[in-house]
Amino acid sequence: MRRLALLSAAVLALGGCVASKRDVFLLQTQLSTMQSAAARADTARSAQVAAVLNQIVQSNDSVRAVSARLAKLQSTVATDHYEMGRQILQIQELSGQSQRRLQELRASLEERSQMAAAPPVPVQGDTTRAVPSGPGPAQLFQSSLDQLRRGSARVARSGFEELLRTYPRSEDAPEAMIYIAETYAAERNQVAADSVYGLVVQRYPSSPKAATALYKHAISIRAAGRTAQARAAFERIVREYPRSDEASLAREQLKTF
Amino acid sequence: MHLPFFRVLAAVLVAAPSLVVAQDTTSRGVRIGLTYDPGTKPGVVVLPVSTALGDSVAAIVSRDLDLGDRITVIPLDASASRAVARAGAPNWSLLAQLGAAAAIQVTPTPSGLHLAVYNVATRQTALIRDYVAPPASSVRAWRSAVHGLSDELEQSLTGTRGISRTRVLFTRGGRLWLIDSDGHGESPLAGAVTPGSAAWHPNGRTITYSTYVPSQIVVQDIGGRGRTVASGRGVFISPVFTPDGASVVYAHGEDDGVDLYSVPASGGAARRLSVGRGSDNVSPSFSPDGRRIAFMSGRAGHPEIYTMDADGTNVDLLTPLDVGESAYRASPDWSSDGRLVAFQSRIDGQFQLLTVGLRDRALKQLTSDGSNDDPSWAPDARHLVFVSNRSGTRQLWVIDAESGRARQLTRGASVRLPSWSPRLGEP
Repeated sequence: MRRLALLSAAVLALGGCVASKRDVFLLQTQLSTMQSAAARADTARSAQVAAVLNQIVQSNDSVRAVSARLAKLQSTVATDHYEMGRQILQIQELSGQSQRRLQELRASLEERSQMAAAPPVPVQGDTTRAVPSGPGPAQLFQSSLDQLRRGSARVARSGFEELLRTYPRSEDAPEAMIYIAETYAAERNQVAADSVYGLVVQRYPSSPKAATALYKHAISIRAAGRTAQARAAFERIVREYPRSDEASLAREQLKTF
Repeated sequence: MHLPFFRVLAAVLVAAPSLVVAQDTTSRGVRIGLTYDPGTKPGVVVLPVSTALGDSVAAIVSRDLDLGDRITVIPLDASASRAVARAGAPNWSLLAQLGAAAAIQVTPTPSGLHLAVYNVATRQTALIRDYVAPPASSVRAWRSAVHGLSDELEQSLTGTRGISRTRVLFTRGGRLWLIDSDGHGESPLAGAVTPGSAAWHPNGRTITYSTYVPSQIVVQDIGGRGRTVASGRGVFISPVFTPDGASVVYAHGEDDGVDLYSVPASGGAARRLSVGRGSDNVSPSFSPDGRRIAFMSGRAGHPEIYTMDADGTNVDLLTPLDVGESAYRASPDWSSDGRLVAFQSRIDGQFQLLTVGLRDRALKQLTSDGSNDDPSWAPDARHLVFVSNRSGTRQLWVIDAESGRARQLTRGASVRLPSWSPRLGEP
């Protein structure tokens, strides 16, 4: 019985050795095959990964290019905006200058045409020239402004008021009214000045001077403690005259409420 | 020599203190009716005084009156000095021969200074006044008292108060400096380091200035410590006080232009005043009534001088628009009488000083020698201090805008950015 067991074990051991060699070979073959397959799979995967990476890189490049283009565009737009702002300002300055020159020119032309229209009347013994019938709107405006610059607020106000009475539809009327307010302000009569600023906005809402008048009106009523009305006035400037300097100033005022 | 006269005078003053008070009260701002050719400056002789400090006082008063450019101080040689002030009374006939409308005698006294003014045409004493002055050992205070006397004297003679009791602030070597208007007492101001431009408070005791590092606006009492009223990123430059002294207006900007802002002098929130839309807007200067501001702006493409209302509205080009590429007008300063704005303009590649009239916009060129910039008006609205390189280095000069007479105020290392004080009180 003992011998039989030993024999069986020996057979099994020998048999195991023979099977193991073949199996190992098979196993090696299979492993090799599997390795080849894995290698092929790895190669394919890495190729895929490389392709994906490549695509990502390309996408990044595209994004970068788009971003650069966007930045350039933003910069160009900002520069254009800045330049446009400057040009608008320059145009405003030049047109302001031209307006003032034109105003002076008109005053001068009015004076000359009046002199020409009223030739001296030949009266025996009278060597003086005939007196013009009266100054035109530009003449009135210019002489009143000169008076204001000289510090004669009251005389200037009379001149501007005369202009409004005689030539109510003159293109100088809104500015004349603003200057009437200025004459009151020069005399430290803020209540009267504020009242006239209000009238400018009421009568000439489309005049370029309306924003100025409204801003001064708003500042004045804010100083008087009428906060809600002042706020409404500043908001109206921003809403109705958004491109004016006063709108920029009003926006800053609104931040402080 | 003059003892009898002054003894009588002293006796009168001692015996009648109410008279002294009356003189003190009424003489302030009183005009002395001198007789001299219209359109000319009245000739004045400063009589010699043979007491201790007498020569110094006479020299200071003579120079003050001369630098005021409203009075001709008639020089006296030794023999004339002896002859002009005989015992008892001035030598009226000699004074008349010299062309003097008035003779002035300032005598140091134990308590200060005694002033006597004689009207040559009427041969009478026109003004007697006593001034309290600190001892001469307190040099600066004593000189200030003499300058104060000179200024009142000039007012009595011409109707316009003098400017000898004023000082000029300027920067040199990264510090702020002070100098008396006659060129004496030059000294650095403690506390202000790396300053830009500076300006005076109307009270004459406080200043404001900018510094580059850190970038800020400072308000400081002279002799005291500074306090920052505005600071942050970007530039903070060219501060000035409003005429009421309540606020400081300065230029501040970052990458998108520079605008003018206003901040309470005691500190607080700043408010923008100018709308430059990317242009540079700097160097504010107020009209005397505080209603308008003159400033430099590049909004038309190159620097020009503009005015606007103190609230930022009604912007108006003050200088005639020059479309030349070299056009450059800057550093406006509004005169205290409100009539003129002084500024610098590039002419033939160099800066020159000009004034423009607020009433008629008329331009007047004041300088042509060397490069001249940064004008600042004296409180008499007639004299300007400015920087010029005409002597080789950049120094302070003073010019009389009416006669064109100029004098050098500083010497030594180069200087920048002067600011003339208002009339000052006792130091």
